[in-house]
Amino acid sequence: MSIQNAGKCYRGKVWALRGFSLDLKPGVLGLLGPNGAGKTTLMSILATITRASEGLVLWNGVDVAKDPDALRSVLGYLPQDFGVYPNLNAVEFLEYLAAVKGLDAAAARRRIEELLNLVNLSDVRKRPLGGFSGGMKQRVGIAQALLNDPRLLIVDEPTAGLDPEERVRFRNLLSDLSGERIVILSTHIVSDVEATATDIALISAGHLVAHAAPEELLRRVEGRVWEWVVPSADLARVKEAFRVSSTVRRSDGVRVRVLTDHPPPAAQPAIPTLEDAYLDALALHRAGVSA
Amino acid sequence: MNAPRVLLHMVKADFLERARRTSFLLTLAFTVFLGYEAFSGTIVLRLDNDRGLYNSAWVGALMGVVTSSFVTLVGFYIVKGSVLRDQSTRVGQILAATPMSKSFYTLAKALGNFAVLAAMVAVMGLAALLMQMLRGEDRTLHPVALLGPLLFLALPAMAVVASMAVLFETLPVLRGGVGNVAWFFLWTTLLVAGMPALNGHASALSPAEMLHDFTGLGSVFLSTRSALVKINPGFPNDFSLSIGGAKPSATFLWTGIDWTAAQLAARLAWAGMAVLLALLASLFFHRFDPAREFFVKRQRQPATQAGTGMQLPAETRAATQAHAAAQTHASAQAHASAQTLALKGHGFSRADQLPPQEGASAPEVPQATEYAPTTVTNTTIPLRQPALSALPRTAAHANFLPLAIAELRLMLKGWKWWWYAGAAGLFIACLASPLAAGRGGVILAAWLWPLLLWSQMGSRESRFSTRSLLFSAPRTLTRQLPAAWLAGVVVTAATGGGLAIRLLFARDVSGLATWTAAVLFIPSLALALGLWTGGSKFFEALYTVWWYVGPLHHTRGLDFIGTAPASSTPALFALLAALLLAACWTRRRTQLGYA
Repeated sequence: MSIQNAGKCYRGKVWALRGFSLDLKPGVLGLLGPNGAGKTTLMSILATITRASEGLVLWNGVDVAKDPDALRSVLGYLPQDFGVYPNLNAVEFLEYLAAVKGLDAAAARRRIEELLNLVNLSDVRKRPLGGFSGGMKQRVGIAQALLNDPRLLIVDEPTAGLDPEERVRFRNLLSDLSGERIVILSTHIVSDVEATATDIALISAGHLVAHAAPEELLRRVEGRVWEWVVPSADLARVKEAFRVSSTVRRSDGVRVRVLTDHPPPAAQPAIPTLEDAYLDALALHRAGVSA
Repeated sequence: MNAPRVLLHMVKADFLERARRTSFLLTLAFTVFLGYEAFSGTIVLRLDNDRGLYNSAWVGALMGVVTSSFVTLVGFYIVKGSVLRDQSTRVGQILAATPMSKSFYTLAKALGNFAVLAAMVAVMGLAALLMQMLRGEDRTLHPVALLGPLLFLALPAMAVVASMAVLFETLPVLRGGVGNVAWFFLWTTLLVAGMPALNGHASALSPAEMLHDFTGLGSVFLSTRSALVKINPGFPNDFSLSIGGAKPSATFLWTGIDWTAAQLAARLAWAGMAVLLALLASLFFHRFDPAREFFVKRQRQPATQAGTGMQLPAETRAATQAHAAAQTHASAQAHASAQTLALKGHGFSRADQLPPQEGASAPEVPQATEYAPTTVTNTTIPLRQPALSALPRTAAHANFLPLAIAELRLMLKGWKWWWYAGAAGLFIACLASPLAAGRGGVILAAWLWPLLLWSQMGSRESRFSTRSLLFSAPRTLTRQLPAAWLAGVVVTAATGGGLAIRLLFARDVSGLATWTAAVLFIPSLALALGLWTGGSKFFEALYTVWWYVGPLHHTRGLDFIGTAPASSTPALFALLAALLLAACWTRRRTQLGYA
């Protein structure tokens, strides 16, 4: 998949995405960005829900805007917000979507059983979806996205509403699925991306801020992450002086973690995390934009 | 709690939320259209062959009765849905967590509805002013005469409608499509209840008649009649508010209603009735308690069986323990080896075909009751995932029939046994009745019965937020849309099938042609309106009114069922079906964005 200078303008004046270019290879691409960065807009364009206002999206060299079905037939999509038909049970709902996707009925039935087992809903497969909790509906959504054995799997905030165990199961599933297929995982939860992504794209204010392997992003903040304990009363001053990535309350004060090239004497170097790299990249981008 | 301030802000928020929607502009456009129809003489208030001179009094009375008669029908459908919106947006749950009482909430919702309807009345007032000036028969402005009927007749009727909408929304049975149909018949009853006043020769309405007169037509009639009788003693007591038809040929001067205390008290009583209805609604209002919701009530299983946090399956739990063991050895290698699943390439390989991995097979599988959730901090929980079989690649267009069956099943799912029993009963009744009775009577009921099935067509995707799931599938336009339409056609044909069999045996070709046109037309109308409005309410309201005006009264040109040979126009409705299908195609194509 190749995204070339894609942009999306709403109502002729608000650009949610602008000049976005990216080439995607098999693996898990973690799409990270703050709220309103344009992640869902990009997901919608890639999932052929909406057309880019400018630029190209190519799938195996085919312009998706001209032939969306070329992509749709191999696409699995889990939207951020989606609903279910409350009177249907999980099996019936998945059978319906399998029919919509044009799957062979017998193969679809077999696949649905396997998927319900995979997402841990076999026990409640005959219950109306109207009685499902948010997390259970989310797992139905995950199952439907995998119905057609997709070559491109797009999941938008997939772990929202999942409990910690299910969240970990899903992260593992994403990793396992990414053999020869492209998985695009959009989220603002850094730990989800940290756990699964082979590539990371940072997006802010509709622009691509960075695209690199996690290791590369971590390398960029190496030697610039510092920690030390400050009295609680000094915390506000530290926040003004440094880019604080986290704080932890302790009996002797507050342990602050900052990103800086000029640490105070008491600071100790810390091992960078992806969250540090993410915050740093965003801050640098914002500084560049405002400059 | 500062009650007036809270009330003001609730009504203001409710009004602004609606006023900023395109549908509100359409609502006002409809009101302007009604005003124009009155101005152009299409809507006529007449006494036999006379009408009043277009002065402030006559124009005001015309606008007042048009509003209290027609806008009250439509207005209900416009304002119904405010409680449901609070529920679907979950704003209701926030409100439910405040000290606000149930009666305060329903009263505030009724006032919010009233504010919207009052805006429509205001537009009619403006239209009245323009009409008097543009007509120019008498440009002398008398504000009380011009606006009195709108204030005293239309506004109390609107208040009742506003509260009635809230009451319907709080009653489970009337909350949905049944309520939309029921309102039409209730509205008809309210209109008819005031009619006896029009038939008598009394010079004034009795207090009881005033209280029965929902629209205020009686007050207008008596006042205008007394003016007309003075110049035409032979007036045949013929009063009507009609749409279309010949225009009155004579005019007379009428200076307006002399409002009496009794008349104003009666109108005030209707406003009081509105308050009572809003308070009555609070008795049924469940304060957004999810335990009172329909689907929760239907559940039989204990809540713990499938709560928000499902337990991991046995094999995953085993793997989790293996992971814990691996962590105690602090070995990253063990993490990697604990992965028992390898899904590679396009398709999945079976976990149990992989060579045994260290860490994954070691622990025993614990029983569910023994399982205690572990703290999970990262993604290295080992898994033994079930294998997923590879899918055969089939041509999507070859699977149209399963999709049509799936659409049909989706349409029929969730209805109680009595619905099917009713449909079967009407089918048999059509079959067993004499052909004329079947065609002119039973089929009317048979094709009103599935109204709520049809009304889901086209709007289901919006209503249940499944559009993104459907629209990301291949060939939605060429497969899913025709399949949905076909499912509607099947339901229509099946429910009216008894008549088709009778017509077939009678070799009534024209009757069969009419039946076929109806079978094509009804689901096409439902699908088109569902797609274009994104909801079911408009179809439910329009179909009910159309069914009443057209088929029930055998009105040629509107009788889409063809209840009598004289009123049958199959070619017209076949053509309309084709046009509606084109409208469906266009709308879905726009929705898809790609197509």
